[in-house]
Amino acid sequence: MEDWSSSPFNLGILDSLTDDAIQEIVDSYNDFCAATQVLLHGAGDLSVGSEFVAHVHGLCKHGLDSLVRDHFLRALEGTFQKNGAFKFWRHFDAYGNGTELEMNNCNPDSGDEVQEVLCKALEGISMEKQYQEKCLLMLVHALQSFKDHVSGGSHSSDADRVYLLSKYQMLVSSVLTATLPRHFPDMLNWYFKERLEELSSIMAGDDSEIQDDDGMGLEERSTMSSGAVQMEIDDSSIQGRFSENNKLVKNIGKIVRDLRNLGFTSMTEDAYASAIFLLLKAKVHDLAGDDYRSSVLESVKGWIQAVPLQFLNALLAYLGDSISYDTVSSGLKSPLAARPSSFYPGIDTPSEGLVRWQLRLEYFAYETLQDLRIAKLFEIIVDYPDSLPAIEDLKQCLEYTGQHSKLVESFISALRYRLLTAGASTNDILHQYVSTIKALRTIDPAGVFLEAVGEPIRDYLRGRKDTIKCIVTMLTDGTGGNSNISGNTGDSLLEELNRDEQSQENTGLDDDFHTDDKQAWINAARWEPDPVEADPLKGSRNRRKVDILGMIVGIVGSKDQLVNEYRVMLAEKLLNKSGYDIDTELRTLELLKIHFGESSMQKCEIMLNDLIGSKRTNSNIKATINQLSRTGSETEGTGLPMDILDATIISSNFWPQIQDESLNIPPPVDQLLSDYSKRFNEIKTPRKLMWKKNLGAVKLELQFEDRKMQFTVPPVQAAIIMKFQDQASWTSKNLAAAIGIPIDVLNRRINFWISKGVIAETLGADSNSHVFTLMEGVGDTGKSVGNSGNSEDLVGDEEGERSVASVEDQLRKEMTVYEKFIMGMLTNFGSMALDRIHNTLKMFCVADPSYDKSLQQLQSFLSGLVSEEMLELRDGMYSLKK
Amino acid sequence: MAAVNGYPDNTPVVPNAAPVTQVPPAKTVDSQSVLKRLQSELMALMMGGDPGVSAFPEEDNIFCWKGTITGSKDTVFEGTEYRLSLSFSNDYPFKPPKVKFETSCFHPNVDIYGNICLDILQDKWSSAYDVRTILLSIQSLLGEPNISSPLNTHAAQLWSNQEEYRKMVEKLYKPLTA
Repeated sequence: MEDWSSSPFNLGILDSLTDDAIQEIVDSYNDFCAATQVLLHGAGDLSVGSEFVAHVHGLCKHGLDSLVRDHFLRALEGTFQKNGAFKFWRHFDAYGNGTELEMNNCNPDSGDEVQEVLCKALEGISMEKQYQEKCLLMLVHALQSFKDHVSGGSHSSDADRVYLLSKYQMLVSSVLTATLPRHFPDMLNWYFKERLEELSSIMAGDDSEIQDDDGMGLEERSTMSSGAVQMEIDDSSIQGRFSENNKLVKNIGKIVRDLRNLGFTSMTEDAYASAIFLLLKAKVHDLAGDDYRSSVLESVKGWIQAVPLQFLNALLAYLGDSISYDTVSSGLKSPLAARPSSFYPGIDTPSEGLVRWQLRLEYFAYETLQDLRIAKLFEIIVDYPDSLPAIEDLKQCLEYTGQHSKLVESFISALRYRLLTAGASTNDILHQYVSTIKALRTIDPAGVFLEAVGEPIRDYLRGRKDTIKCIVTMLTDGTGGNSNISGNTGDSLLEELNRDEQSQENTGLDDDFHTDDKQAWINAARWEPDPVEADPLKGSRNRRKVDILGMIVGIVGSKDQLVNEYRVMLAEKLLNKSGYDIDTELRTLELLKIHFGESSMQKCEIMLNDLIGSKRTNSNIKATINQLSRTGSETEGTGLPMDILDATIISSNFWPQIQDESLNIPPPVDQLLSDYSKRFNEIKTPRKLMWKKNLGAVKLELQFEDRKMQFTVPPVQAAIIMKFQDQASWTSKNLAAAIGIPIDVLNRRINFWISKGVIAETLGADSNSHVFTLMEGVGDTGKSVGNSGNSEDLVGDEEGERSVASVEDQLRKEMTVYEKFIMGMLTNFGSMALDRIHNTLKMFCVADPSYDKSLQQLQSFLSGLVSEEMLELRDGMYSLKK
Repeated sequence: MAAVNGYPDNTPVVPNAAPVTQVPPAKTVDSQSVLKRLQSELMALMMGGDPGVSAFPEEDNIFCWKGTITGSKDTVFEGTEYRLSLSFSNDYPFKPPKVKFETSCFHPNVDIYGNICLDILQDKWSSAYDVRTILLSIQSLLGEPNISSPLNTHAAQLWSNQEEYRKMVEKLYKPLTA
């Protein structure tokens, strides 16, 4: 029976109830309800207390304590809804529609107004709540006393109280949340933003101090802990200022606490967190801006220490540390959370909550800065050597956030949009590529992301015709070959070559140590895995050494093409050189040898050796000829002295194709040349000289009646002007015949003299024959000639006046060979498919240069021939066009 | 009067390579050198561009070539084109290649199987000859047959009557199919 009676659902108990008892229960209940009503609306009047307790006891006697509790709570809920929540929300009605307007206005006064309203509302509702809690406690006491009474002993149990209070807390927050107006979170947000901005602007005075400090202590602040040093210096001032701001923080703290009591814990936290983040974001943008020449990361961190963390510290301290634990949304404790306390200047022992806040804020700052920098990465790289601090910042951010892929995607799209367009010059693209390599090498020494970013640039450059030429110019020219970015010597690839040499020396040293166990251990310890983003197909980091030259060569595909282009440029340079000074070329060659290997540079080396050999042979020949002429006959008398001639003797097999043009040079010079070659033959039997008379350079001086002019020109130009020594006027036809060059070549070449005002051109009797006349005086020219008499002019090598066949010419020549082969095979086999032509060429076109084109290249070449109506394409078979 | 002083400076010259002294090759040469020789002949033939004669190795075998010659102008063979086959032995160039007409050719020195009677392809062969000279010889043989030792007697008899001969050539000629 005992068990049964204790159960509220035991219907048997109803049978045992007498009518009196029922009456008693009903009476007690009615009285209890009335007492509750009075109590809750009593507005602080607790006089009904004893009566209330009696009714509770009455009901409890019948085991109806749960009914008591439920009814009381329901009554509380109704009252709170009416008195508390409704009144509370009414305070904010004014902001319901006008909030946004006010936010836009950013009226500082309205901040205070909001604070006032908020305070008043919170005060009201808090009072209401306190009162209700008091009522609740009364119930708890009543229940408690009944229990004590029944059991006879006083066994204190908090369970009831805790249960009821938490129930009440839930009730309060659910009522408020249910009736929450939509604009309230916004308002809170805005409120905290206002307060924080106010705080931050108060701090701004100190901020400038920090900035000053930045300049001095940049190095010492490179480590995290050094931030503390600086903070300790400012410690006192921060404390001082904080006492000023104590009121502000206290106000905020009070509001936060009240809100928290009402169950708005997370909403409040969201509000001030988002306000802090907003402020932080603005700060980062403000600090970072578009200036990449200084590192901002430290000052951002400094600011986090100075403003939001101090604020949070004060706030958390005000609220009490115990609460701060549940303010942190991230439940898991980070292993990084344990930091030396010296890191928090002015805060004796940083609470765990504060540490988490700091981590959150710093992560956010890193991410914001990273996003900002990534968006501007293109510009940053354009300013590369100057923008190094920004790149260092970005590197740190990325280490923290690990969002490298964001960088790759954003940068590639920037590249496509801004660099890889028809408008950008190949030089600029190459320079940007080099800067990219250097910059990304800083961020990611393993070169994983560089691989991804470099790919589009390389692909694009491969499509440009002058890429190889630009690369070679950059390689050999100390200035980097770019006039647009002059003075930017950091871009020179020559420098890179030098560095390469040095590093190679260093690794040579390293090798000796490698045998050392200790060093091996150090190397092993230094190993780091590839970043997860690494493409496993592209090899491990060992192979992926970030090597600028390697990446540049990678554009071209094979070093052979580069070497070939270099050879052409070298030949051009050497042939137009006067004197045998090749020191710079030798140095460049040595550097290139280190990189490209001895064997591939062999031909270039022979070319330089030719020059050295020429110098020796030349002086030998001259010495012996002079000797002969002194001792022997006077036949030399009329001729020119041998001293004026220097010959470059080349091993033509190793030089690039040399443009051969016939040229009749003046007889005295011709005589000189044949004397020279005769002597050469005597010294170096059985070898004979074959002159390339169109190559080389001629220094000459023109003497006019009133002036002298000096020029260094190619032999053709010299030969042309020599003809005017005997005859002041020539028709183009006669002159061309006399010099032995085609008329069109003559017309092109003589333009040089016309532009110098030495020769005038008039139309002859025949419409396609021009008459060239020598201009004796300056006045005769009729137009002002820019250069004064004695100026020396060097003829720049214009396009089309090259002495060496360019790589394009070579390519064209190669294709002619293929063309002949294709015609040959089609003559004998009738018609052939693309595959078969390709295979046949591969098989039989093996002479230098052997066939190395792809099927696609062949196809485009063949369609060229088809469009020239040399071939026909029918059903996939090529045949000769009859 | 302007005086012009010329100073030719640094004019590059190419020394003549020392004369190549050809070591007489041994009678038995490995196929590698035959290959080389044929390859260089092919290159020379392609780059030489002699009109009316052409030859090219078959797809995978450089010892078997197909040749094409066209009849010279002002001969009865003008406007015709004949396909030849040339097969080289490992002894080439010490032995002549076997050369045959692939398409029928009505000619005193060519039999119905396409065999050619030409002295340089038999006893008068010299290693100085090459594909190009063979083709040119055959081309000139078309216009100037050796009537005294005919393989095709009918053709030899008809040769004296050039008009009739031309008709015969045209009648028997089958244009090359692509």
